[in-house]
Amino acid sequence: MSNFIERFKTSERVLHWVVTCSFFTLLLSGLGLFSRLFNGYFNLFGGGSSAILVHKIAGVVFFASSVYMFLNHKKDVTTFDEDDKAWIDARGGYLSREERHFNIGKYNPGQKLFAIFIYAATITLGVTGIMIWMPLTFPRWLVQISLMLHGLMFVGSIMFVIVHVYLATIGNPGTIEAMLYGDVRRIWARKHHPKWYKEVGEDNP
Amino acid sequence: MSDTINQASRKGFLVDTARCIGCRSCQVACKQWNKLDADKTANQGTFENPRDLTAALYNRIKFVEKENAGAVTWQFFSERCMHCGDAGCMKVCPSPGALYRTKDGIVAYNKEKCISCKYCVSACPFGVPRYDGDEKVSKCNLCLSRVDGGMAPACAKACPTETLKFGNRKDLIAKATAAKKTLYGLDSLNGLGVVYALEGPPDSYGLPANPRIPTSIFLWKDIIKPLGILGFWGSIGAMLLHYVTIGPKKVDDDTGDKGENHE
Repeated sequence: MSNFIERFKTSERVLHWVVTCSFFTLLLSGLGLFSRLFNGYFNLFGGGSSAILVHKIAGVVFFASSVYMFLNHKKDVTTFDEDDKAWIDARGGYLSREERHFNIGKYNPGQKLFAIFIYAATITLGVTGIMIWMPLTFPRWLVQISLMLHGLMFVGSIMFVIVHVYLATIGNPGTIEAMLYGDVRRIWARKHHPKWYKEVGEDNP
Repeated sequence: MSDTINQASRKGFLVDTARCIGCRSCQVACKQWNKLDADKTANQGTFENPRDLTAALYNRIKFVEKENAGAVTWQFFSERCMHCGDAGCMKVCPSPGALYRTKDGIVAYNKEKCISCKYCVSACPFGVPRYDGDEKVSKCNLCLSRVDGGMAPACAKACPTETLKFGNRKDLIAKATAAKKTLYGLDSLNGLGVVYALEGPPDSYGLPANPRIPTSIFLWKDIIKPLGILGFWGSIGAMLLHYVTIGPKKVDDDTGDKGENHE
């Protein structure tokens, strides 16, 4: 019996990294647009005009791939059960050194809420992005609100992504392997996602 | 704020709308000096022409038509960039030097530095900046080259009735105040570079009574931006703090409660 079981298929992993790459391209090309403080980031793209062009292209890629990724996992990430409630009540055990065990399925409620937030942010950023892209086509008040919301959702996204990256790497050793090779250690699965492991793992060589 | 303005030496217009006869010499002079092409317009049943500012029309006379007992009266309003003391366009412009303030307090621009984001279009309290085929910002720059050379802007030079008076903003205001004119644009937005003596309430000219930076633009630049930067570093700090205080959730290989792990 192998020490590993598959958590994410190749197509899921590729999609995740497409979303990741487009997200960071958007971040770097958009920083200079967010504030003059970050004007230097335009140089990465050879100037502001090209940064805007890159931002638009990456925006389309991010929007499509992020929406597709959410829809792929919609059922898993939008249903919460009693065990999830216990996890939420205890904040997933992240606020104490005490060892806690939760009967969690494929995703814990934190992951589910992150997925839902990123989906909501993708839609908001996408819609407001179109307004900002073509400000002369839409009413001024709509473009003004879009500029504000685009900035707000960007700030929210980057903060959530920082937490996401932490929890997926050094915060929970062994987790990132699921997104790199697709396989996780059985012992990891049993600890973090026992219900999911019971469903797919035990008789899966 | 990086945008500083010397109110004492600031230059500007005083537009005495009561003196305007709607001859549009200012429109023509502006086109001539700034080498702007004519826009093709269509007759829409009014003498007002053109009916809006364009990328090739930096100023125009707006005709405020009113019907009074069967007779038509006109009020003429010379419309252009207001050269706000606190300029929304400069606040949002992400390209340093694309929109900038001169030593005379003029809001000028450099098309070569414009990156075509069009944020200024949304941030202007008066809806002035225009874009054209070249996708670069375009608006009145108060005939920067003329003013630098000690001359009045082309429109003021051409005005036959002294509706458009150009000079030291403080002196112009002092004179108009002494003449008991009701002035628009004295203090709002840190003082407008174009101050009006109006013949009626501002809204009869289509002007906002209290012009200010659009609320969502203010929220974006003055609230979300600083809090966002704080939130970014705060999140990173919180994660590092979590790691060294509470610590990661390690998968303990040595618990031994399941023997099949090390076959």
